[in-house]
Amino acid sequence: MSQWQEQRPSEEFYRVLDPDGNVVGEVPDVDEETLTRMYRTMVTSREFDEKALRMQRRGEVSIVARATGEEAVSCGSAAALEEGDWCFPSYRQTPAALYWGADMARAVAGMMGAEPETVDEHLPVEEEPPVSFTPVYVPLAVNVTNAVGSAMVDRFRDNDAVTMSYIGDGSTSQGDFHEALNFAGVFDAPAVTVCQNNQWAISVPAHRQTAAETFAQKAVAHGVPYDRVDGNDVLAVYAKAKEHCERARNGEGAGYIEAVTYRMVEHNTADEESVYRDADEREYWEDKDPIDRLETFLLRTGVLEEGDPERIREEVRDEIQDAVDEAREVPVSDPETMFEHHLHEESGGSWAQEHQRQELRAERNGENPFTDFTGEGLE
Amino acid sequence: MSLTTESRSDQAGREMNLVTAVNATLRQEMQRDESVRLMGYDIGPIGGVYRATQGLLEEFGEERVIDTPLSENGILGTAVGMAMRDCRIVPEIQFMGFFYPAFGQFMYTLVKMYERSGGNLEVPMTVRMPYSGGIKSSEYHSESTETYLVHTPGVRVVVPSTPYETKGLLAASIRSDDPVFFLEPKKIYREGKEPVPEEEYTLPLDEARYVRRGEDVTVYTYGAMTRHAKAAADSVDADVEIVDLRTLSPLDVETILESVKKTGRAVVLHEARRTLGMGAEVSALINEYALDRLKAPVKRATGFDVHFPGHQTEHAYLPDEQRATDAIQAVMDYEF
Repeated sequence: MSQWQEQRPSEEFYRVLDPDGNVVGEVPDVDEETLTRMYRTMVTSREFDEKALRMQRRGEVSIVARATGEEAVSCGSAAALEEGDWCFPSYRQTPAALYWGADMARAVAGMMGAEPETVDEHLPVEEEPPVSFTPVYVPLAVNVTNAVGSAMVDRFRDNDAVTMSYIGDGSTSQGDFHEALNFAGVFDAPAVTVCQNNQWAISVPAHRQTAAETFAQKAVAHGVPYDRVDGNDVLAVYAKAKEHCERARNGEGAGYIEAVTYRMVEHNTADEESVYRDADEREYWEDKDPIDRLETFLLRTGVLEEGDPERIREEVRDEIQDAVDEAREVPVSDPETMFEHHLHEESGGSWAQEHQRQELRAERNGENPFTDFTGEGLE
Repeated sequence: MSLTTESRSDQAGREMNLVTAVNATLRQEMQRDESVRLMGYDIGPIGGVYRATQGLLEEFGEERVIDTPLSENGILGTAVGMAMRDCRIVPEIQFMGFFYPAFGQFMYTLVKMYERSGGNLEVPMTVRMPYSGGIKSSEYHSESTETYLVHTPGVRVVVPSTPYETKGLLAASIRSDDPVFFLEPKKIYREGKEPVPEEEYTLPLDEARYVRRGEDVTVYTYGAMTRHAKAAADSVDADVEIVDLRTLSPLDVETILESVKKTGRAVVLHEARRTLGMGAEVSALINEYALDRLKAPVKRATGFDVHFPGHQTEHAYLPDEQRATDAIQAVMDYEF
C-alpha cells in the first residue's frame, strides 16, 4: 500500500511557549482569568470531542469532525475578539464558539440532526454571545468570502468591529479564499483570516496542497499583512491574532495568520486515517499537545494549582453531560420543517411549496398524495 | 398597485425605456433606504456597460456604489456577508454568462443561509443580470440559463418585460427580504418607451400578469419574448390570451391553470433551451392539473438545446414572431 510521505512543517514561526511549556518568547499581556478561560475552553473542547465520538459510535449523531490537538488555534484567535465582533467558523473551531459561551446543548441537538427551527423552539437562546457566530460552514472556504463582506460593512459604517474567519490548509486551494483575501486587501476590510494548517486535507498532505513554501505567504499576492505562528501554542496564536485584530480595529485593514498544527485524529468519523498516515508521526505531535503545554505553563506560574486540572476536567465533563441530557430531551423535528425558511411569505408565496407540503402531509397520513387533478389542492 | 392588462396609455409619468427605468428605480431605492448599496464590476464611473448605474457613483459615493475587483464569486460572496449584516445589496453581474464562476457562492451561501440558520440570518439581495440574446454579441453574452436559478429553492427569479414592470418589480425585489435574481432582457433595454409614474410603487413578486385576454389559446412567456407573443397574437386567426409569467420562481401556478382551463390550448414561448426550461415546467403543471380541459397538446416554442450560437446564426436560434405564430397555429389546428 502506498502512502504519501509526511513532511514536518518548518518551525520558523512565532512561538511563546515551547512544547515543554517553557517560555521562549514574549508572554502576551493576558490576565489570569483569561488564561484560565482559555485553558478551560480547550479542555472542554477536548472532552466534548470525546463525548461526541462516543455518541457517534452509539449512533446518536451521524458524523463528527473533531478539533482534538488543534484547540489552541481557534481558542487563541477567538480570545482576541471583543464584544460586537463577528466570527464565521468552519467545522473544526468548536473552541472558538465555546470560548464565547456557545450553548452546548444547542450544538449537541444540531449534531443529532435536529432542524434549526426545532432547536430554536426547544432550546431558545437565553443570551446571545457577545461575539456573533454564524452557523458552522461545511463547504470549504465560502465562509471566508462572506466574512470579508461582513467586514466591509463595518469598514463602510466606520464601526470598529472585526470579523474573523477560519480556513484549513486544503481550503486555501479554493478560489473563494483568494477572492476573499483580494477583496479584503482592496477594501481595507477589518477581516482577520486564520488558516488552521493541520497538515492534512482528508488524505492529502499539506505539501501536496501547494508548492508555496508556507501557507502564510499566500497573503503576499493579496497585499494582506500576515504571520506564521505555532498553532499548538495558544499564547502565540493569541498574541498575533490580537495584533491583527487591533490593526483591523484601527482602520488599518485585513490580516492573515497561518497557525501550524496537526490533526491528531481522523478527518471525521467517516474517514480511515490508518490507510494513509503513519502512527509514528502522531506520536511526534502528541508531544506538542497544546493543552499539556498551557497546563505546564499555568502550573509553573501559579495560575493553576495542583489538582485544578483534574477538578476542571470533572467540572466540564459534568457540564457536557448536562448539555447532552438536555439535547436528548429535544423532540424529533417535524418533517414539515423542511419547507420552512426558504422564502418570506410576505413578499409572495410559493404555490409549489404549499402543494408539496400538503403532499407530504397526505403521505405521512397514509393517504395517496397524487389525487389532485385540478390544482386546487388535496383538501 | 397591480397591473393586469397591457394598456398603460392612461398612465401619467415620465417616458422611460427599460434601462432608464432600472436606473431611476435604483436611484429611488438608494434615496429612500440608506442600507441599499450597489456593487459590481464597471458599475462606477462608466455606469455599467449598459449604463444602468450611470450617475449613481457621483450621487451616492464609492461606499454605496462599490466598483469591485473582477470576480463574480467574490462579488456574490462578499455581498452575502454584507446582506447578513443588515445591508440591502444590489450586485450587478455584468452578463448572465459571467455568472457561472459565482455558482459556488450562489449554491452554498446565498440560497441556503436563511434556511440553514432557521430563519435567523436573512440575505436580502437583488442580483441584477442582463440576460438573453439578440444583440449580436460575443460568446457568453447572450445566455438564457435561468433554469439553473429556478431549479434552486430559496431564491426568487424575476424578469420584467416593460419599463413600467421594471420599476415596480425592481423596487419590490430590493425591498424583499429574500435573495432575488432580477434578469434584465437586454435586447429590449432601449426598445420602446412608455410613461412610468414618478411616484413609488411596487408589483407583487408572486403573480403573473395578463398581457391580454383571449378565449382560444394561451401563450405563456416572459422578458423580451413578450413582444413576439403580442405580434403573433395579432397575426393569427385566433383569440389569443397572453400571460407574462414575470416571476419565474415562485411560479404563479394559479394564474397558469386558470388561463389554460379557460382556453384549453397552450403554447410556452421562451428563449432558453427547451429541455428542462420553463416550458417543461408549465407544460408539466398543465398535464398534472388541467389535462381534461385540453383541446390540444401543449407546445413549446423555444431556443434549441445547443450552446448559444454566434451572431450570424443567432436569429435562427431565437424564437421570433414566426415561431410563435407557427406554434399557436399548430395547437389551434390540432384535433384529438
